[in-house]
Amino acid sequence: MSSRRSRISEEEITELISKLQSLLPETRRRGASRASAAKVLKETCNYIKSLHREVDDLSDRLSELMATMDVDSAQAEIVRSLFRS
Amino acid sequence: MQVTEAFKHAFLKQMLLGFQASAVSTKSMGFQERKNAIKLSADVAMAVARGSRKWTRGLIAGLSEERQNRSFLRLILGEQYESLLKPCHSSWKIPRCKKIVRRSLRICWRKQKKNQSGVLARTLVEKRTQELKRLVPGGKSMDGSSLLDETLDYVLSLRAQVDLMQSLLTTFEASKLRSHSKRRLPERKASYVSK
Repeated sequence: MSSRRSRISEEEITELISKLQSLLPETRRRGASRASAAKVLKETCNYIKSLHREVDDLSDRLSELMATMDVDSAQAEIVRSLFRS
Repeated sequence: MQVTEAFKHAFLKQMLLGFQASAVSTKSMGFQERKNAIKLSADVAMAVARGSRKWTRGLIAGLSEERQNRSFLRLILGEQYESLLKPCHSSWKIPRCKKIVRRSLRICWRKQKKNQSGVLARTLVEKRTQELKRLVPGGKSMDGSSLLDETLDYVLSLRAQVDLMQSLLTTFEASKLRSHSKRRLPERKASYVSK
């Protein structure tokens, strides 16, 4: 099992790294050429942290908004979005 | 690369269930309590919408570590809760994992870097990998390539979570505006533009 695992194909890793790179906002903006694995990992960590912050911020705003919404309309809106998309 | 329509539907549906279960629309709820309920609903919704993956199991496990979340999780997930918490078969590998991870990472990264060389670069990659393991739910028990695979999947789902929460916010704001204008002009026939 261990020998199989350590011979992970280097192509697989390269492909995963490049897929990760294509997700990063900076890459999408500048269309950067292939960055190093270390750089991609670092940018990915930063990106995940910023996404976490966004979720936290959106939770704040939703909480504020829903404080003054009535139950039925909130649920109705969600159901409506479900049908819209 | 994007999440599927099925994911978006499942997410919104699960959010609705979460809101109902935690009664977020109750006026008596404090701001922080409501915010936590919303965030919890959003995380559960994301995990459920994605299905069974290492990171989704890690996420649910992490959430249920806090006692106050458990009754909510049990309510929302029902039978799924117990099965989602079951440890992965891979848990038996954990004592050996560090050695295997380090070895496989050294082999892969060494071949990967054509322009970089030396201990510094390799240490940097390992350092970043450790940080990534902390950020991705369930990351501690993942090895090299599965960590990358799960990270990719997790980032896509996180992005979708942000987008969907944003669109919920927009939808609620619009609905609020509509109900306000309705109240202000009761005698006129409402002729607002619907978004």
